[in-house]
Amino acid sequence: MNKISRNVLSVAVGAVILGLGGLAHADTIKIAVAGPITGPVAQYGDMQMSGAKMAVEQINAKGGVNGKKLEAVLIDDVCEPKQAVAIANQIVNQKIKYVVGHLCSGSTQPASKLYEEEGILMITPAATNPAITQQGYKMVFRTIGTDDQQGPTAGKYIAGTIKPKKLAIIHDKQQYGEGIAKEVDKTVKAAGITPVLFEGVNKGQTDFSALITKMKKEGVDFVYYGGYHPELGLLLRQSREQGFDAKYMGPEGVGNKDISAIAGPASEGLLVTLPADFSTDPANAALVKAFQDKKQDPTGPFVMPAYAAVQIIADAIKGAKTEDAVKLADYIHKNSFQTPIGKVAFKDNGDLKEFQFVIFTWHADATKTPVK
Amino acid sequence: MSGFSLLEFIQQIINGLTLGSIYALIAIGYTMVYGIIGMINFAHGEIYMIGAYVGLLVITALGLFGVGNISAILLVTLAISILVTGSYGWTVERLAYRPLRGSPRLVPLISAIGVSIFLQNYVQLGQGARDVSMQPVLTGGWRFGPADGFQVYLSYMQVLIAVVTVAFMTGLTLFIARSRMGRACRACSEDRAMANLLGIDTDRVIALTFVLGATLAAVAGVLVSMYYGLVNPFIGFIAGLKAFTAAVLGGIGSIPGAMLGGVVLGLAESFASAYLQTEYKDVVAFALLILVLLVRPTGLLGRPDVEKV
Repeated sequence: MNKISRNVLSVAVGAVILGLGGLAHADTIKIAVAGPITGPVAQYGDMQMSGAKMAVEQINAKGGVNGKKLEAVLIDDVCEPKQAVAIANQIVNQKIKYVVGHLCSGSTQPASKLYEEEGILMITPAATNPAITQQGYKMVFRTIGTDDQQGPTAGKYIAGTIKPKKLAIIHDKQQYGEGIAKEVDKTVKAAGITPVLFEGVNKGQTDFSALITKMKKEGVDFVYYGGYHPELGLLLRQSREQGFDAKYMGPEGVGNKDISAIAGPASEGLLVTLPADFSTDPANAALVKAFQDKKQDPTGPFVMPAYAAVQIIADAIKGAKTEDAVKLADYIHKNSFQTPIGKVAFKDNGDLKEFQFVIFTWHADATKTPVK
Repeated sequence: MSGFSLLEFIQQIINGLTLGSIYALIAIGYTMVYGIIGMINFAHGEIYMIGAYVGLLVITALGLFGVGNISAILLVTLAISILVTGSYGWTVERLAYRPLRGSPRLVPLISAIGVSIFLQNYVQLGQGARDVSMQPVLTGGWRFGPADGFQVYLSYMQVLIAVVTVAFMTGLTLFIARSRMGRACRACSEDRAMANLLGIDTDRVIALTFVLGATLAAVAGVLVSMYYGLVNPFIGFIAGLKAFTAAVLGGIGSIPGAMLGGVVLGLAESFASAYLQTEYKDVVAFALLILVLLVRPTGLLGRPDVEKV
């Protein structure tokens, strides 16, 4: 991995320098949007970037914040923990005071330590690992739920509605995937179901045939996968090919159109827990249209949370009449904000007071329908 | 764990052999280069990655032109991929090895790592860093066993992988054993300076070795893109690491050793996943490597006089 991350570093540093090129205006308020622009999970980065950019544009169109324009500085962390720290250092050196990001839990956690120490306000629209807000930090927020909400939602559905005879839980050994798999494990065990398998696969693994054979032999009829779509896509495809037709379920990290590109027909019927689809909320109709006019997809799970994160920063600057990040963090803790993801208020640890995950059925044509 | 099942065991052997065939094809590239110049070609994993990309692109393009015949797809894809990948192999040797022929051994090693980093980023810039995927072109297979119980599944694709692998390895073995250039290769492997003195163009032999290695890597790449249907610019790293392990396990420098090493590694990973935990498959694979090297420091089929100057 070392070699890879070093290669990626050079590219990412290039991206940072390009980002710097855009900072000509001195009277703008810079917001770093940090997430994967390249790499295997760049699709999610797209959602985050398009949501954040839309918010910046719309706020600027309405005159900006206290007479200043916002400026989004897009930065690539490739979802690599080491890379994320390097990026966080860049943000510190550029004296940017606000960060919307990061996206992957594994890269958010190490970066958040730096932001807390340097007094930089961080709002992640996507990282769901509970540990990120359990560090006692004052500068760290998120506009998304956590795995200890998402895991139980999935776990209760499995135990209450699916009632599988033999359940297997697979994860990718990453902070996000394994974290959520453990939450599901805990929930189903509490409901009296003991998984016959709880195993980790490697990130980047392509051959799952041995694992599939084992699950087939054990008679597994339901598989929960904690991780991202590249591995699950192959797992699904190889399962169907081997004639292993158990139903699969995964967290929001698997829910994007690439799972259908990889798994094809095998992705039909996959269950996914996702944040509620904010694009169907009538209050967001105008915003959804704005995205569609730009030919961007407003339905991705991180689009609206990213929009909300930028808006909260802007509203806080207006409301608190300061650009001091530490005072803003304090203001955000004490107030509530009207955003596309609803009226939000934060707990002391920076988590949302309320956030709901909904279960969807995924289809082979990359659409989804809510499960009744 | 419910008890042992013979059918499951057979299925795991099929899984392991398929994986092992791919490892073996890539491993040969490492072992041949080592056999002749006594150095590891660290850009070989990237060569394989390029083979996989070319395979995927050609298959997708053929699909657009409406070519549905599987043997036509296979032949055209293999031909184009071998051509492109082979020229990359030749270029790597030309740029990263030949100008440094007389330098200390570490120097070409570093230049090969440089080429590896270059190729990764080059493909990333050209094709994007994202996963590129396609749907399988060859589906279906045979099922054996009770209709209501565990059925062994042998897909056409797995058979194809085995057949293509065996065909190319037989071809390579015959080429090395029978042809003029093959004899020259063996002579260089025995003693390069002496072979040079006796009139063999050793530079040409070395270039040929890189091209042959790249050819087999291209075959592996095409098979992987047909079987798994997912490539990204970073697949060469892990595949290269595994294949290098297979080459060392079998005895680096020995071609049959690389084949055996690949199969043993594939089976070890498959059985570790099946009878231990999937987490342990790499632990078992590398523990096996250490054990073999402790007992036989030259690998399973390595020659004892592997000491090279």
